Amino acid sequence: MFRDAGHLPKLRDTPPDPTQLPRQRRGRTPQMHGRYPDYDVLENARHWDETTREVVLARVNEVPPVRFFAPEEAEVLRLFLDVALAQDAEPRIPVLEMVDARLFTGETDGYRYDDMPEDGETWRRLARQLRADGFDRLADREEYVRALHDGEHAWEGLNAERAWSVVMRYALSAFYSHPWAWNEIGFGGPAYPRGYMRMGVGDHRGREPHEGAEAFERDPVQDS
Amino acid sequence: MKGSRPPRDNRSAFLLDVHRRGIPGAARMRRYEDGDEVDLVIVGAGAGGGTLAQRLARKGWRIVILESGPFWDPDRDWVSDEAGQHKLYWTAPRVIGGGDPVELGKNNSGHGVGGSMIHYAGYAPRFHPSDFETNNRDGVGADWPVSYEELRPHYERVERELPVAGQDWPWGDPHAYPHAAHPISGAAEQARRGALAAGVDMRIGPVAIPNGTFGNRPHCIYRGFCLQACKVNAKASPFVTHLPDAIEHGVEVRADSHAVRIGFAGGRCTGVTYVRDGRERFQRAAAVCVSGYSIESPRLLLNSDGLANAADQVGRYLMVQGATQVAARFPDALRQYKGPPPEISSEQFYETDESRGFARGFSIQTVGPLPIDWAQHVLADGHWGHALREYMRDYNHWTTLGLLCELLPLAENRVTLAEEKDAHGMPVARFDYTQCDNDRANIAYGTKVLERIWEAAGAQDTLTIGRYAHLVGGCRMGFSPEDSVVDRDHRAWGIPNLFVCDGSVMPTQGAANPALTIMALASRLAERLSAGR
Repeated sequence: MFRDAGHLPKLRDTPPDPTQLPRQRRGRTPQMHGRYPDYDVLENARHWDETTREVVLARVNEVPPVRFFAPEEAEVLRLFLDVALAQDAEPRIPVLEMVDARLFTGETDGYRYDDMPEDGETWRRLARQLRADGFDRLADREEYVRALHDGEHAWEGLNAERAWSVVMRYALSAFYSHPWAWNEIGFGGPAYPRGYMRMGVGDHRGREPHEGAEAFERDPVQDS
Repeated sequence: MKGSRPPRDNRSAFLLDVHRRGIPGAARMRRYEDGDEVDLVIVGAGAGGGTLAQRLARKGWRIVILESGPFWDPDRDWVSDEAGQHKLYWTAPRVIGGGDPVELGKNNSGHGVGGSMIHYAGYAPRFHPSDFETNNRDGVGADWPVSYEELRPHYERVERELPVAGQDWPWGDPHAYPHAAHPISGAAEQARRGALAAGVDMRIGPVAIPNGTFGNRPHCIYRGFCLQACKVNAKASPFVTHLPDAIEHGVEVRADSHAVRIGFAGGRCTGVTYVRDGRERFQRAAAVCVSGYSIESPRLLLNSDGLANAADQVGRYLMVQGATQVAARFPDALRQYKGPPPEISSEQFYETDESRGFARGFSIQTVGPLPIDWAQHVLADGHWGHALREYMRDYNHWTTLGLLCELLPLAENRVTLAEEKDAHGMPVARFDYTQCDNDRANIAYGTKVLERIWEAAGAQDTLTIGRYAHLVGGCRMGFSPEDSVVDRDHRAWGIPNLFVCDGSVMPTQGAANPALTIMALASRLAERLSAGR
């Protein structure tokens, strides 16, 4: 099903509808769809070294409280992140909380463009802009985010391309650090101390027994 | 003897513990008092400082290394996880500007004992002989006051110490490596087939990971987390290749000690002021060596009342490499997260070819982005929302090649002090960077070559991210005080006991990853310093 590339967004008009993907049968993925329905990376957790296990499991089990953003900022940014990351149904990876925790502890990436404010301030300005534009009441939020990405909305005077990059860098770093996202994309996750033996091309030569097999079609009973 | 032939005069690999990853000797490391006038204080425990300390300690020098970051215990501090290793990077504030600003942090700046080599990919190519005389040969860049021939014995020595694995190398000064090439992953195999179909010769390596056990360093387990620090002790960095031997020979590596100013009186350096546990202290020393890399070394000199900056050269000619990556999609699963990201490379386009319309050239190398880096790659190609999630779900069908384009040294690409202060009250660095026309032409041409390779390989789709990699220059070595900061012996012009030993001294950067050359320069400097004593 995925040998051909017809599903890739650049080769078609609009991205395919993810609700037509296989439903997750083991573990969780964001929105419970994915390409590896019988793969749960967390089932391998007992093979990880202890310090890694603690850090990764805490990411799943302990959702941090919102401390950096004010409640009204958090509310509108959550709606924005749902669109920007296509998290349109439960279960959702708690990206807002994960971003908030980084901004609260000041864990930045170590640089700031000379024409940009501190990263936290960029986020706050986005929240103000979204609130001023009534983002929560918009019928087509996706269209609004597209315009934001294309630099058609003011970001309170910020360089739109850089502001988009700051916000999305935080959002994606949070989302793809989460084991549910690894289940969705079939990433092997932490690999110490076990490592890898099978490194070849294709499912036969390139997949360990504990790595997920790619689904080739939907399950006619469970996915209907 | 266990494993392959060890190097002479460096027992680091045997001083490690097979069952633990920290440096065993750290517990009984020699300590000096601030008031002791040591022979040398080095600022920065990375590729330059670590190698220099190991060499000189064996000649009896009493040395303190001040390191701003922590002394790692990999078993306890490091995790096999992309986000969890954020602590490896220099994330204290810095300001970037200019026409083509360079993003810093995780891509190019280390923090902690071992420096940036803790999170470098592991590629260890030599520079080509032409890199040392680009002005003479090609009329661009600058000539070095050190030749390739002078550096060659040190390249060979460091290659044995790391050690470097790879196929016989046909480019630059042709040479062989001490360890045989590693097996390559499906993702690299796919890239290699495409390159060969497009008429591009690729070789396996050169990678600073032993192929076999090496002393008490275990074999690589091919888990693919090289950029997140090697929890195995397989990938070479000063932490496993030089600091164990340095500590065994009396070097003190004083971590969590942030240098803020170099002491200076009567025409000579007197030591270094540093902050530890919130308190300012002063380590006395007969000589000072700055090894803080291309941003922090200039910053420290500029904050020391402009030491060595009489000709306004400190911080200038800072370089990065154009490191655009193009990923390609194939029908079979490739799982590009497996195996060390550094696998195969080509230096076929390294030298100037006038028919291309620009001077100098580029290298091509595999990279193996983990999910967060892959997401940045997809984002950079312009995707978000459902399109981004779809490309992310397709992760296992992709493989990625990257460029290292030689960008030219320009005086206005420089580090200065910003008005903003860091947590120690020290002005933060500001780094301005703008490409020249030759740089743009080089990157554009290289990107086309990558696209040609993927077309020849039969790729179904491609995704592109424009980016930079590596830092060199900022305190360059030269022939006169008017056009450089240090002389051919890394000595600051006019200050007999101040040295700079790191990537910042390089006048050009070639299209090679800089780590091996930084170590080779440190090895050469140590030889000259100990001969002169």
